[in-house]
Amino acid sequence: MHSDTAHETHEDHLDHGHIHPAPEGFIRKYVFSLDHKVIGFQYFFTGIFVLLIAGSFAELVRLQLTDPNGAIMSHTAYNEMFTMHGTAMVWMVLIPLVTGAIGNFVMPLQIGARDVAFPWLNMASFRIFPIAVATLFSSMLFGGPHAGWTEYPPISLADGTAGALWCMAIFIIGISSTMTGLNFMVTIMKMRAPGMTWTRMPLFVWATFATALMNMFATVALSVAVGALFLEHVFNVPWYDPARGGSPVLFQHMFWFYSHPAVYIFIIPAFGVVSEVLPVFARKPIFGYKMIAFSSMAIALLSFTVWMHHMFPAGIAPWLQLPFMILTYAIGVPTGIKIFSWMATLWAGRIYFTTAMLYAMGFLITFTFGGLTGIFLASVPVDLHEHGTYFVVGHFHYVVAGGAVMGFLASIPYWYPKATGRMLDERMGQIGFWLFFLGLNGTFGPMHWLGLEGMPRRYASYANFASQYPDAVFWNRFETACSFLMVASVGLLVFNIFWSMKNGKVAGINPWGARTLEWTISSPPPYYNFKKLPYVYGRPYDFDQPMPYQNTDLEIEAFPEYGKVVMPIPTAGAAAGAGAH
Amino acid sequence: MGPGFWPVTFLMLALSLICAWYFLYGNIDWILPGASNPLTDRTNDIDALFKFMAVSSTAIMIFVAGYVIYFGVVFRARPGESREAVGVPVHDAPKLEFWWTVLPSLLLVVLTALSIVTWYKIYFGTAVPALTAEVIGHQFYFEYRYPGLKNSVYSKTEAMHLPVGVPVRILITSADVIHQFWVPEIRLKASGVPGLVQNLNFTPEHAGTYSIACSEFCGPDHSLMQGQLIVEPVAAFNAWLEKEKTAAAAGGGALNLAEGTADAGKATFAQKCSACHNNPPTPFDQKLVGPGLLHITDDPAHPNLVSGKPPTPENIADILQNGFNGPIGQMPNAQANGLSSKDIANLVAYLVSLK
Repeated sequence: MHSDTAHETHEDHLDHGHIHPAPEGFIRKYVFSLDHKVIGFQYFFTGIFVLLIAGSFAELVRLQLTDPNGAIMSHTAYNEMFTMHGTAMVWMVLIPLVTGAIGNFVMPLQIGARDVAFPWLNMASFRIFPIAVATLFSSMLFGGPHAGWTEYPPISLADGTAGALWCMAIFIIGISSTMTGLNFMVTIMKMRAPGMTWTRMPLFVWATFATALMNMFATVALSVAVGALFLEHVFNVPWYDPARGGSPVLFQHMFWFYSHPAVYIFIIPAFGVVSEVLPVFARKPIFGYKMIAFSSMAIALLSFTVWMHHMFPAGIAPWLQLPFMILTYAIGVPTGIKIFSWMATLWAGRIYFTTAMLYAMGFLITFTFGGLTGIFLASVPVDLHEHGTYFVVGHFHYVVAGGAVMGFLASIPYWYPKATGRMLDERMGQIGFWLFFLGLNGTFGPMHWLGLEGMPRRYASYANFASQYPDAVFWNRFETACSFLMVASVGLLVFNIFWSMKNGKVAGINPWGARTLEWTISSPPPYYNFKKLPYVYGRPYDFDQPMPYQNTDLEIEAFPEYGKVVMPIPTAGAAAGAGAH
Repeated sequence: MGPGFWPVTFLMLALSLICAWYFLYGNIDWILPGASNPLTDRTNDIDALFKFMAVSSTAIMIFVAGYVIYFGVVFRARPGESREAVGVPVHDAPKLEFWWTVLPSLLLVVLTALSIVTWYKIYFGTAVPALTAEVIGHQFYFEYRYPGLKNSVYSKTEAMHLPVGVPVRILITSADVIHQFWVPEIRLKASGVPGLVQNLNFTPEHAGTYSIACSEFCGPDHSLMQGQLIVEPVAAFNAWLEKEKTAAAAGGGALNLAEGTADAGKATFAQKCSACHNNPPTPFDQKLVGPGLLHITDDPAHPNLVSGKPPTPENIADILQNGFNGPIGQMPNAQANGLSSKDIANLVAYLVSLK
């Protein structure tokens, strides 16, 4: 982008008459807010609330499996629990947390914007999220959905009203995702600070951009799929029921056309977080900036071309399996590039083991493991053995809990000081990391060999399997015990979040010595973020260089109460950059 | 590289080689059931592919985790170090990046090639199958059909049989929702999708008894949808098939009531009878559609069956076989109910046991 045009665009855009004063009072400030930061908090706390519920469902699932005949509940109740756990975790926890919460809070700050492109749309996206949550959980009053988070027809057609409510909830949250995707895409394309070219964007912004594209283009397919399922539930339109001429496999195609990108919708922001955290705490530039940014986009594109690998034994033509296997393997290349680049970032650094760094390094290990088991599942012949077993459950949770959640957990201690002005307690954070890391490996590790031995997923009881493999009972109990370590970790985190708001050390502007734009303004950031728009003349990862920013003259003169906006001291490089503009 | 880089690298290499040796030559039956004594030719092919992946991905995992930990240890910030100190400012290393793009790509190309070879064997590698059996999924049991056999075989009461050394084709479909046919020792599975028939082809190589599991969620009792596969020598298989055929051809005449077991009958009752007769069975007057069947043989108020005959096992079997059409309603015959002779024998044994 040529800097002159960028400057002018922003000057035109910043008609001072459009800048409203900061809202006052709790209700206007925190409930009916248009501020991207507050909307991020709203997503955060709603998402954490659903996380606690969905997590407790997971614990009920694990407790049931401590006995091969099912320890605590009926098959029907168990089926409802794993269905609600999966549905809530995927749509109501992970996607809102990594895009809605972290993306909303961090992305506009990192590009030097004063808000997202469409604040009202952003507010609307959040508003309908609790409605979707209420709709989903209200389905439990009508017997609950039972067919797993995938809700494959025809079995899900037996769910009746609860199934229809499930469709409604997913449809609603899908609209929220689509709108957020559109909003973020436009924000990143149009609202970057002057001088911030595409290759000067922080990698988290690249990740959010890739995610926004997937949110926009993939979620529509899901909305259509569940919309049709809703019509079938309520108006008996035979889309999927084979008894009336529908195609059950059609639903699987449409579901996975969304749900494979969905996995990347929550893993790519985690990639972005790790790409921010590693250089800051290794005190050296991210290795291979362009390749990491490029591979995010490559993964986003490829993620639309691999959905049928979820369906190898499900009734597709054998020859059709091959292109999907090959494309799935192709995703391994950009993923590998990312992992190797992150490892190279650690090399010859000066590594500070903060909580965020521990999570990011733990992520490298657990996500790599999840990625490698994905290689097994992508091969058609080996998948014919592993499909539908505990191996898949193990793989998926290594990617999601060991990837997306670890990245999310790294982002909390990292950006908490910026959000609240206080540091998250380090000791509690590090204990929490070890609990989570050990709990995760203990819970999901043994699932791999249980699945290979012959334990299918979604089994409320496994007496027949346990009679052949008596060890299965021990390993299931072991997993249940380890899963409570993760419960303890999440509990400690929630406590820490509230405790540190009052008792944490005062953070200051830039406690980590980080270099992205959000660390140049006060903590918490003022309303409208940047009193003076910064001019960007470099990448934010050169720790041996002065900060690559300079104030422009684009000020909010009308609102002196924002206080002093601290910007780095201009240097020779900065002067050159300023001269260019 | 950092202090101790090469010793650490060699350590990881050694560890990778040990793991490779274990996967290739160790006993990994705990990961792949029956790997040391493969049940079918496909088991062998898929296990070979699995082992190749296990060896290479274990090595990658060891190196990634090893270097992450090693870099963390040797490049940690020492206490008292200035916060201003920075790491070595490398931005990229084109040669290194070239190799770590090309080598994994090559590995994936090899993996794809090996997978395609195995894939071809799975779908097109079995010549004309000598035996084609059909598997039909129901909530919550498997039904098996064999050529020349009129009646089906139900998994809750009976096992699926396959001969050793004969190339077989299994056709898989479903009567209600989506099910999945999986025998872990064969390594193959396919969904039974209503309205769609899929096939699996393989040759069993030795005898044994194995579990069949449904591995696609199919309803409340999904986890109870278990079957049994008996692989037996050709002679034994043929004898079994002939016996089933004779029983089927002779219709009710071949009914051998002595063969029935009450336990199996109880399961069949829950599947086949409970829509019209209370389950668990109740006294005669507590009707659902048909009468309650508790005390069918020893009810003083109803000394005879609805057919007017005394409640002997033979007369009960007669009603099951031919159905009943009388003043209190209609009951379909065995064909309409999908009952095999074996089922009838089991049901009679069960009903007689209800005292």
